[in-house]
Amino acid sequence: MDNTEKSQDTQKHRQAPAGMKRVEMDLSNESNADFNTLIKIEDLNLYYGKKQALFDVKMDIPDKQVTAFIGPSGCGKSTLLRCINRMNDLIDGVKITGTCNLDGENILSNKIDVIELRKKVGMVFQKSNPFSKSIYENICYGLRIGGINDKKILDEVVERSLRGAALWEEAKDRLHDSATGFSGGQQQRLCIARAIAVEPEVLLMDEPCSALDPIATAKVEELIVELKKQYTIVIVTHNMQQAARVSDYTAFFYLGKLIEYDRTATIFTNPSLKQTEDYVTGRFG
Amino acid sequence: MNPDSNKKIIQTGSLPLGKFFGRGEHWLWLTGACLSVALIMIVGLLFVIVSNGAGFFWPKDLTEFTLKDGESTQKVMGILMAHDTLREEIPGGKGIRLIPETQFRVGNRDIYAADFVWYRDENISGIMKPKLGVALERMEYGNFYGFMESFKINDDVIATGGQAWERLLKELPLVNRKRKAAEAIKEHEIGEISHEIKEATIQLNKLKRNTHPTAEQVSKIEEYNQFMVAKNEEFQTLKDKAQKILDEADDYSGVFKTADGREKVIPLLNIVEAWQPNNMSVFEKCIFYVRQVWGFIFDDPRESNQEGGVFPAIFGTVVMTVLMSLAVTPFGVLAAFYLREYASQGPFVRAVRIAINNLAGVPSIVFGVFGLGFFVYFVGGTMDQLFFSDYLPTPTFGTGGILWASLTLALLTVPVVIVATEESIAAVPRGVREGSLALGASKFQTICRVVLPASVPGILTGIILSMARGAGEVAPLMITGVVKLAPELPVDLTFPFFHLDRKFMHLGFHIFDVGFQSPNVEASKPMVYTTTLLLILIIIGLNIVAIRLRDKIRKKYQTGAFA
Amino acid sequence: MIYTKMERTFEQDLQSLKDNVLMMASLVENNLKRALKLLVDRDDSLFDIIQAEEKQIDLLEMQLNNQVVLYIARQAPVASDLRFVLTVVKISSDLERCGDQAVNVAKKARTLNNEQPLKPLIDIPRMATISLEMLMASMDAFVNRKPGLVVEISERDKEVNEINRQLYRELTSFMVEDPSTISRCLLLMAISRHWERVADHGKNISKKVYYLYEGKDISHPDALS
Repeated sequence: MDNTEKSQDTQKHRQAPAGMKRVEMDLSNESNADFNTLIKIEDLNLYYGKKQALFDVKMDIPDKQVTAFIGPSGCGKSTLLRCINRMNDLIDGVKITGTCNLDGENILSNKIDVIELRKKVGMVFQKSNPFSKSIYENICYGLRIGGINDKKILDEVVERSLRGAALWEEAKDRLHDSATGFSGGQQQRLCIARAIAVEPEVLLMDEPCSALDPIATAKVEELIVELKKQYTIVIVTHNMQQAARVSDYTAFFYLGKLIEYDRTATIFTNPSLKQTEDYVTGRFG
Repeated sequence: MNPDSNKKIIQTGSLPLGKFFGRGEHWLWLTGACLSVALIMIVGLLFVIVSNGAGFFWPKDLTEFTLKDGESTQKVMGILMAHDTLREEIPGGKGIRLIPETQFRVGNRDIYAADFVWYRDENISGIMKPKLGVALERMEYGNFYGFMESFKINDDVIATGGQAWERLLKELPLVNRKRKAAEAIKEHEIGEISHEIKEATIQLNKLKRNTHPTAEQVSKIEEYNQFMVAKNEEFQTLKDKAQKILDEADDYSGVFKTADGREKVIPLLNIVEAWQPNNMSVFEKCIFYVRQVWGFIFDDPRESNQEGGVFPAIFGTVVMTVLMSLAVTPFGVLAAFYLREYASQGPFVRAVRIAINNLAGVPSIVFGVFGLGFFVYFVGGTMDQLFFSDYLPTPTFGTGGILWASLTLALLTVPVVIVATEESIAAVPRGVREGSLALGASKFQTICRVVLPASVPGILTGIILSMARGAGEVAPLMITGVVKLAPELPVDLTFPFFHLDRKFMHLGFHIFDVGFQSPNVEASKPMVYTTTLLLILIIIGLNIVAIRLRDKIRKKYQTGAFA
Repeated sequence: MIYTKMERTFEQDLQSLKDNVLMMASLVENNLKRALKLLVDRDDSLFDIIQAEEKQIDLLEMQLNNQVVLYIARQAPVASDLRFVLTVVKISSDLERCGDQAVNVAKKARTLNNEQPLKPLIDIPRMATISLEMLMASMDAFVNRKPGLVVEISERDKEVNEINRQLYRELTSFMVEDPSTISRCLLLMAISRHWERVADHGKNISKKVYYLYEGKDISHPDALS
């Protein structure tokens, strides 16, 4: 990714000639923040037994911004996402080489306490998976397993998380009803609330809207744009328009390789590689 | 262009045969027929049991008739039981003659020595139903059928005829109460003292075996001796008390006459129930029926299980089933959790699973033998050596008892619970598990907080199935702790309240015993059906409780609609 | 790198847009040539044809705009497709103005033809030729994917501007010397200006074409410094 050239361009965009009114250009989600690397992935290779699924992935994921992984089915984007919170450990026969540094620590090493890692790196799944408990208990789950059972703290966390997920108004009168009574979109936002209740640093989202209707999708997308003020978000999506609307940086994967990784604005107006261009315009699948 | 597209699709008449089979409609009928056969068999089974058993307690009419026995005639009274036809060869090879017969229950075993008798219809005449015919259920020798002559207190005739009957009905409940009180004293208070004396004796013997006793031990021996003397006195007092109560009641008696005139004096203490079958209205008969059923359920058995109630058997069955469920649940559920969650799914685990499934095919008597060898002799014997050596050579746990019987049956039904639990664990959606792990839960926390609560309905199903299977097994029980007649219940009010070393009675075994081991087969036949019906009802009752519990929990953990 | 390239149905829409732009360009070029002929050969009969063709050009512009709006609404294009449809809108706008310039030249030329010719026309036809060449070159760049032509076209625009200035000076001196030529000179100056505008449009189109194929907006390089 051509970082330096792009930032020079943006600098040029910003400095208006003297005397002229400054023209604010909102080039779709272009963040005013600088690029601070939070997650540094280097030489990551992943094998399912003998079959290699990820090839020499190298990328830096910025802090407090939304990074989207796009690519056709089976290209490895979900696999890479699941590396970041070590969920691939659940699958037998998975081998990962390379490093993935979060806050300076390589989270792929054996010495890492995976359970603590997962408290730092939360995940929202494609199909919403609320527990068969009350809404209150769902959100408290992360805290209770960490040993926090003080009702006052839990109450406060529940309200904060539900507000953060834009669900408080709908849920505040039904806190002790079963979470499964919610509609699909509400359940997914509940899962987001549950994930942010433990205040992670990173939020991983694996196609969070693919099972939702357009209005629920829109609500979740609005939520993501709000949440990035506090959390670093990495989202895997099949929906090109969603990636374009929601993310700041987009990474295009194909057959386990990272093909192109750049600002979303660039990927969707002027991608560098023809392969990327063909994919985002829908000419190949 | 599809040539059929213009065909009318409104169907008139029934489907042509080709289409009928082509569309698979015949399967609908086949599957329906199979289900109907199954239902008919179940209903038929229940019908046979109910019709044979439920009518047992209904007070049937007394029939009096004249019996021609050769040249003499005799008056006979009894209850009409059944009709049949005897096939007899006509002498001279002229074919077969059909002779109708009727079976009567004549009771009065102490007089006639026979209870159920078949009489040829041709010998029977003058059938009538005397209103004043009296039926008595007695503590021994079974039922009495006859007429009441008079009511006596000691040797004085107090009343005759109808008044005698009324007096009898008035006094009988009081006498019954007194008898029950005396029995209660014998059972509880005297029984307790007997226990204490037995305990003390054993301790005393232990101390006495010391050839060089210390001063402390000597004083203890003295203590025990005094204790024994006191207890023996108590024993005697209570015995006298009981006897006094009985003596009070012993004054009353009734003078009865059989149909053919033989007289019999029957003390009221011997009478459990008295009624005039032909003189009762339907309402009175209903009340009688309910009282009899009540007695059946709550009374102790008499006459080597042929009469009386089956309460100890019911109690034993329920206690054993509960113990078995309590034993199988943790064992089965934890084993299933390990198999499914923690064990790496290789060939070894598959072999274990196959072994568990095959365990369900082992004949239950084999489990009984294993229970005997392992639980009774090995574990029980060791326990006796370690904890109850004072009582030896009388075994405490080294012999059959309710604990070993329950554990043996738990082993028998463990495959059911393991399979049901494994299935319900597997049915917990993977997404929920992943969600829990992604929040930073350990595997154990995920299992405890998410998987286990969600699989409780399945586990309960497994327990229900195991209860249903175990409550009906008899063979393994026979060698691990069930007896024909148990003197005490396994749970009572004496410390330590749960006597897991005691032998117990069981309805399944009771059915076997009553049906095939009793001297009076005819009398016990209806009892077999009634007990079977009772066993079925108890199992249904236990199942309904468990099913309702499961439904309540299932509603709580129902996964919501998919988006 | 094995991937399956798919033939998408929207490609036909894009091709249709391209064809319509080319058709519009050819109509405009022809009209401009007719206008020049009207001026040079003093042939007033061409005027009506020019008017009629102008209507066609306007209709085509409206049709192109409609097509683009529909395409965006349906396909939500990104990357080069997005740049393509935006460029089509801008090119059609530029071409439509060129068409207007042709009509303007024709009107003024007709007026001129009622009077005595002032002087032999050399500069204006030269300007017109260069402008037409520029226009055709920019369309060539569009059709044949030659964004580099913008350099050459920008250079020729400078040439046209120079000719225009030179002509202004010459006509100004005519007007000073002989006031009776003022009306004819003014008309000629106006005509010259129209041709200069056509050249500008040609330059703009070539810059848009550069944006389309290179992704960089070079319309106003001065604003960035």
